[in-house]
This record gives sequence, C-alpha cells and structure tokens, in this order.
Amino acid sequence: MSLASVILFVVLPLIGLAIALAFVRFVWGPTLPDRVVALDLIGALGIGMITAYAIASNLPMLLDVAIVIALLSFLGTVAFARYLERRGKL
Amino acid sequence: MKEMLSGILVILGTIFMLVAGIGILRMPDLYTRMSATTKVTTLGIGSILVAAAIYFQELSIVARALATIAFMLLTTPVAAHAIGRASYLIRVPLCPQTLRDELYGRYDPQTHLLESAPLYELKLQLTNLHIERLKIPDRASISGKNLEELQIRQQYGVTVLAICRGTHVIPNPDGDVQLFSGDELIVIGTPEQVKVLRGHLLTTEQANLSHDQAK
Repeated sequence: MSLASVILFVVLPLIGLAIALAFVRFVWGPTLPDRVVALDLIGALGIGMITAYAIASNLPMLLDVAIVIALLSFLGTVAFARYLERRGKL
Repeated sequence: MKEMLSGILVILGTIFMLVAGIGILRMPDLYTRMSATTKVTTLGIGSILVAAAIYFQELSIVARALATIAFMLLTTPVAAHAIGRASYLIRVPLCPQTLRDELYGRYDPQTHLLESAPLYELKLQLTNLHIERLKIPDRASISGKNLEELQIRQQYGVTVLAICRGTHVIPNPDGDVQLFSGDELIVIGTPEQVKVLRGHLLTTEQANLSHDQAK
C-alpha cells in the first residue's frame, strides 16, 4: 500500500470522523464557549486534513491554505473570547 | 524510507486528532474538553506537518511546515487561555466531580483582575472592609500635596497602607510623603468610604480641567 492510498483510505476518513464528533459537540453545546472550542477544533482538524491531502496529492502549495486557516481560527477564537468576556453572561 | 517515516507520522497525527474528537465529545465539562483538544491538536498537526516536511524535502516546504508548527505552538495556548478565562468569568459550570477550584473567588467580578491568595483570604476575614488600589489621575488637585495636608484618614476614614510609584513601593507612608499623579494608593476602609474617596479623586480632576478651560 502506497502512502497516498493510506492517506486517502485511512487517514482522511479518520480525520473526517473526528470532525464529525467535533461537529456533534458544536451542535449540542450546551454553552456558547463549548461551540467556540468545537469550532476551533474543527479548524485545527481541517489543517491536518489539508496537510495530509497535500502529501497524498503531491501538491505542496496546499500548505499555504493550512497556514491561512491556522491564522484565521486563532483570530476567530480570540475575538470570540473577547466578545464572551465583554458580554459577561452565559 | 521517507514514505515510511512520513506515513508513520501521518498515522500518529491522525490518532491524536481522533483522540481530540473523542475527547471533545466525551469529556464532562468545557475546561477538560479544552485540555483534551488543544494539546492533542497541537501534537497531531505537528506530526502531520513534520511528515509533510520529510515527504517533500524542499527547503521552502520545510520552512513553511516549521513556521506553521511554530505559529501553532505560539497561538494555541494563547487562544485556549483566552477562551478559558472568558468562560470562567462568565461562569461556565465545572463538572460536578471537580474537587478543587483554586480560582474560586479570586477574580474581581468588576475589574476581571486576578488576585493572589493572601489578599483574598484577608478580605474573607475582614468581611466589611475593602482594600483597593486607587490611581491618582493626571492633573489631580491633590498632586504635589503630602499626606498630612490631605488628611485622608480624618476626612474619609480611609487609611493609606502603601503608595506604589512605578516599581517603587512606599509601605506605611508618613505624613510628609508627597503624592504625585500616576501614584497608586493602596487604601483600606469600608466599601462606602473607599467609594467616596475614589469619587473625590475623580471630581477634583474634572474641577481642575474646567478651571484650566476657564483660564
């Protein structure tokens, strides 16, 4: 089994399963911070998925997409944290 | 060889990421969920990026992968701390099995500042007393006067415990210590007395401003 097929048939489905689990938490909540953490995790899992796909498809420029998602998910989480603290209620 | 090595790293990273997904679903409260997801994703993304660096073996790709790892290592703890702190301040519940909450009562609900333990425990013992830092604003009328002239204890019933001037601290100041704008007074009194003193500091500043404008 080549590396590309391992990634396509084992790695990507497993990361997809992890994203599905995080999405359950995102829908379930129960509080807004839970959803923010779940969204942050989905972003992080997306970075892993894109990097794995970059290896499988031999397209190294996809790593730039991963960097952009890392930046955006960090900014989003910090903005949410600030908003939550200033709103001051659950 | 390089396919073998990066394959092992990718599978390792995938296992970490799956653990993060299970952790966020199964952990009992927000804080434990965060501890599961942040640590595990940093490791997971780290190993997949190292796998990419080994697989492509080009300087630009390796640099990009290492830069992304460094960025993740710097930002993930910051984001986790920001969201955890905000959640604690808006009282997201801890799981019922929690044995010890060391932050309990140490965040000031108004200013969101964290206090160290001794002052907090002192506040618990002196229930009707208030210990507070008051900053002397710019252009305050009391700036330049000494404590004896101001008669803070006689007028407000508040005792000045210490004066913080930059990094320098004057403990138990005598009557001849002068006050300047930017100094911080650490005062003790009943909550009402401290409130009156704080209001006085602010109003003298405004009076001063209108006085200057009249000139």
